[in-house]
Amino acid sequence: MQTFKKYAVLSLLLLISLLLPHFITDYWIYVLTVAFYYAIMAAGWNLLGGYTGQFSLCHSTFALIGAYASALTIVKLGLPLWVGILSGTLLTLVLSLGLGIVCLRVRGIYLALITWAFAEVIRTFIRVAYEFTGGDRGLNSPYLFRSVKPLPYYYLFLGLTVLAIILIAVVMRSRIGFYLRAIRNDEVAARAMGVNTVRWKIFAFMLPSGLAGVTGAFYGHYIGLISPVLGEFNEMAMIIIFVVIGGMRTQAGPILGAISIRYLMEFLREWAEIRIVILSAIVILIMRFFNGGLMEFLRRAGGWVRKKDAVSAYASMGEK
Amino acid sequence: MDGREKQILRLENVVRDFGGLRAVNHVSLQVEEGEVRGLIGPNGSGKTTLINLITGIYKITEGDIYFGAKRISGLQPDVIASLGIMRTFQVPRVFRDMTVLENMMVPALSQGQTKQEAKTRAEELLEFALLTRLKNEPAKSLSGGQSMLLQIVRVFMNKRLMLYVMDEPFAGVHESIKGIILKTIKAMNQEKGITFLIVSHEMTTISNLCPRVSVLYRGGIISQGTMEEIANDPLVIDAYLGGQ
Repeated sequence: MQTFKKYAVLSLLLLISLLLPHFITDYWIYVLTVAFYYAIMAAGWNLLGGYTGQFSLCHSTFALIGAYASALTIVKLGLPLWVGILSGTLLTLVLSLGLGIVCLRVRGIYLALITWAFAEVIRTFIRVAYEFTGGDRGLNSPYLFRSVKPLPYYYLFLGLTVLAIILIAVVMRSRIGFYLRAIRNDEVAARAMGVNTVRWKIFAFMLPSGLAGVTGAFYGHYIGLISPVLGEFNEMAMIIIFVVIGGMRTQAGPILGAISIRYLMEFLREWAEIRIVILSAIVILIMRFFNGGLMEFLRRAGGWVRKKDAVSAYASMGEK
Repeated sequence: MDGREKQILRLENVVRDFGGLRAVNHVSLQVEEGEVRGLIGPNGSGKTTLINLITGIYKITEGDIYFGAKRISGLQPDVIASLGIMRTFQVPRVFRDMTVLENMMVPALSQGQTKQEAKTRAEELLEFALLTRLKNEPAKSLSGGQSMLLQIVRVFMNKRLMLYVMDEPFAGVHESIKGIILKTIKAMNQEKGITFLIVSHEMTTISNLCPRVSVLYRGGIISQGTMEEIANDPLVIDAYLGGQ
């Protein structure tokens, strides 16, 4: 019954997402499309940082790499769009393999520092190699569709979000999910129980990074102008905030966090910098009272409603 | 034939140094297939270090370790586990955010069993260990004794298990749980022929469980034999009461 309810809710949400663009302006379609990009990024980081306990600070950098690799392949080499996106994805997979191997023996703050350093190296390289990459002026990235209307991009990123959710759900429900969670809980015990922690830690690095790379490539071809700003530390911090606010180590949490916070930030756009204060206050409140994020809030609210219903039902039995 | 064919575990002059400290000092030890061997010694004698060397958590400085005819010194812990050597830890190491049932399934899945096979076997073992009612609880909610019990039965999910190295399995557990652990060891040894190497300070329990005991002191084996023999060994008496 629970499974049926879950799939019913998911189907309803998908239906709403499919129909929504017909009831909102192009501006809000754009906002939601960008929110989908961040939802995919958050879901990917949740697998690495949440489920596997690898607190990486270079996840957004792989989106940056994917975007630049794709754009440069098309612009400089004149190759088709699909080759650009493929090359962006492959490059991120290769780099994340290397980084994953380097990070095998480190964890916690040291892992965070190494990944942050990697992110800074990449971002600085892009800025310095401006004759090739455009530097801080940015690089034109060919649009994916001929139309400038946001609707095709909305459905593309909705589709990518659904695919990302399914992929991560399949992985976490499989034996791989057991290995990743065991590694996060106690890597030494996991090895003693026969888990090849080397293989699965590298996998945990590569899968989200590849996802970030392909998403970044598509994103670059959506916004049309890419710059090193995409890989700034603020971007990484926002992704982590989305995961934590939504609910770390839950499957819906990162999606919920990304979409709700992105929506809120747009809603508060007129408040300029004060919206950052408001966002910070929300983070503090959620962390203080709902450590598991919005998913915990919803769980508790659901439990409160069920309890209220049970009490009412019991009371009405007494009246009879 | 030199009798080696019956030895499931053989340590040859094993040494482990931590900088200037020699924690294991030229240990040679042979455990026969199907044996329940005790390993005792005062605190700091190197028992846990020896277990960590056997199971690949530490690398040996000198010497060799064989599992049957296979040299295992230098292999990774997960490879050693896949060969059939598993261990427990002195302080129970369970996957705290996973349920009891999920904890049980990890070693089976890593050996290639399907999720359904792993789940079925896990439920059987949990029933044997009287932990069924806790199967859907997160492991962090277990008491210390229950965590130790979970840690112990979890190992039996590995169908290839041949040698089970236990580090202080009775430490700090209630008599009822100790009874379950003893029952489990005896059943698995008699029915499945699993060899046990058990580190413990509980002399009475070791005496009842282990026909042969090895004594470790300051990183070296100083005596081996029945509990009665080693209890009368002057070297062992000196080691426990001081004087060496």
